[in-house]
Amino acid sequence: MRHTIRFTGVGGQGVLLAGEIMAAAKIKMGGHGLKTATYTSQVRGGATVVDITLDDNEIFYPYANEGEIDFMLSVANVSYQQFKNGVKPGGIIVVEPNLVHPTEEDRQKWIIVEIPIITIAKEEVGNVITQSVVALGITNEFTGVLEPETLKEVMLSKVPKKVHEVNNKAWDLGIKYAKEAKAKIGM
Amino acid sequence: MAREVISTGNELSALGAFDAGCMFFGGYPITPSSEVMHEMSDLLPTVGGKFIQMEDEIAGISVALGASMAGTKSMTATSGPGISLKAEQIGLAFIAEVPLVIVNVMRGGPSTGLPTRVSQADIGQAQYPTHGDYASITLCAGSLEECYTQTVRGFNLAERYMTPVFVLLDETVGHMHGKAMLPDLEEVKASIVTRKRFDGKPEDYRPYDVPMNEAAVLNPMFEGYRFHFTGLHHGPTGFPTEDAAQCQFNIERLVGKINTVAAENDGLDDEADYEEFMMEDAEVCMIAYGSISRGAKEAVMKLRNDGIKAGLFRPIVLWPSPAKKLKEIGQKFDKIFVTELNMGQYLKEIERVMGRSDFGTLHKANGRPIAPLEMVAKVKEMF
Repeated sequence: MRHTIRFTGVGGQGVLLAGEIMAAAKIKMGGHGLKTATYTSQVRGGATVVDITLDDNEIFYPYANEGEIDFMLSVANVSYQQFKNGVKPGGIIVVEPNLVHPTEEDRQKWIIVEIPIITIAKEEVGNVITQSVVALGITNEFTGVLEPETLKEVMLSKVPKKVHEVNNKAWDLGIKYAKEAKAKIGM
Repeated sequence: MAREVISTGNELSALGAFDAGCMFFGGYPITPSSEVMHEMSDLLPTVGGKFIQMEDEIAGISVALGASMAGTKSMTATSGPGISLKAEQIGLAFIAEVPLVIVNVMRGGPSTGLPTRVSQADIGQAQYPTHGDYASITLCAGSLEECYTQTVRGFNLAERYMTPVFVLLDETVGHMHGKAMLPDLEEVKASIVTRKRFDGKPEDYRPYDVPMNEAAVLNPMFEGYRFHFTGLHHGPTGFPTEDAAQCQFNIERLVGKINTVAAENDGLDDEADYEEFMMEDAEVCMIAYGSISRGAKEAVMKLRNDGIKAGLFRPIVLWPSPAKKLKEIGQKFDKIFVTELNMGQYLKEIERVMGRSDFGTLHKANGRPIAPLEMVAKVKEMF
């Protein structure tokens, strides 16, 4: 079974690392995971897209096939608009509603879920950098592809010890908000 | 025991260099190759190796060449624009027969081109990176494992044939992050080739006085064996000459030590020069290399699901090309499909070797990968 997940944002938001963590967690579980990123030559502010392919079998083509993506998470409008069409009809797209503005057409084509990821990181966790960890929690709660404990363990292994507490908080909040959002749409 | 690692192609290329005994890296950072350099800056100091970031690309290869002249296994890494700048020193490495591994993580060109985007447009450049006559060795990695193994192989070939060797990655393979199964470290260490040396009396030492199709025997400097390095044509001790017979011999030997040897021995070493994927019962042969071959493998499987028996031929050694095998394929298959991330640079070589040009093709040069479904659609047009 293949799962393809796409994170989109702008350079500097940490979406690259979030993708690596997901791929590594799948590998730790005994499967295959590949992360590829496409970004522009702007250092900050350019549209960034990260494709994560998770499979029990070997993965050859490392990018998501357009129209086959199961789940996308977006924290920047420029990259949302550019990359949304990769998501299969009926797929789930989680957006940061303060920054991403889906059209009415989009809402009919996909299940659009609004979670203020950056506000949560900034105000509830207290550190905007943790937005990628909030996103990880949300993504895994919606997709259920990875064992939460393994994913969390890999995530903590990638960040310094002194920020473990704050990242644990970000992770828990991501899951909490995702659960609430799922209940709202009857998932 | 095989080693499972989670890493990127660029980092694995650096690890391959490290395990192959590389003790010097000189270079200048450039997207999408910089992580090779970052990783070397971490690895080399742990074993007393030397790492230096120079002021530009030219200086980067210059110090790497100097280190190799002194007898140290040495490397540099860059992308297409860097190779353009390094071209003159690459020529010096060819004519003076200085081993050097040059990793090129390909991005869109020409010039500054598309710095962050994938390309395979340096295939022609790798064959003829500088002026003059010579033969290039170019390896091309198509997986994370191969970023490691082909870099190790690059060092072994450089030392054996006393020549610069290109290891081509592309942005996709270089930055791809996932699982790789690396060969057992002891096996890798046992496979290491180190350049020949002359152990006779210093006054009898004539490093370039070697038979046709053989490589020079260059002793490390500072050990009492006196000889001369020059970009000029040179005689047995390395001092300049314009003797007509000597100059002709020099070039015939430079080309022959690689091209003739590869043709006569069916390759430059015992390792695989190509991969065949589902070729046994195939009725259409796809040809692709580097990251594009990954999409091609998926296309092969999709085509088979649709009832078309496809197979993939993937060259790993691009130069000298696996001509014997390519020729065989040209005779065996009626339908051949070539796909590359350039405007047809390797297609020309395939046409030359096979003596035909009736291929299905898909070439892109916009910095975007080629999706399996795009290939599937094109292959179906051939039926």
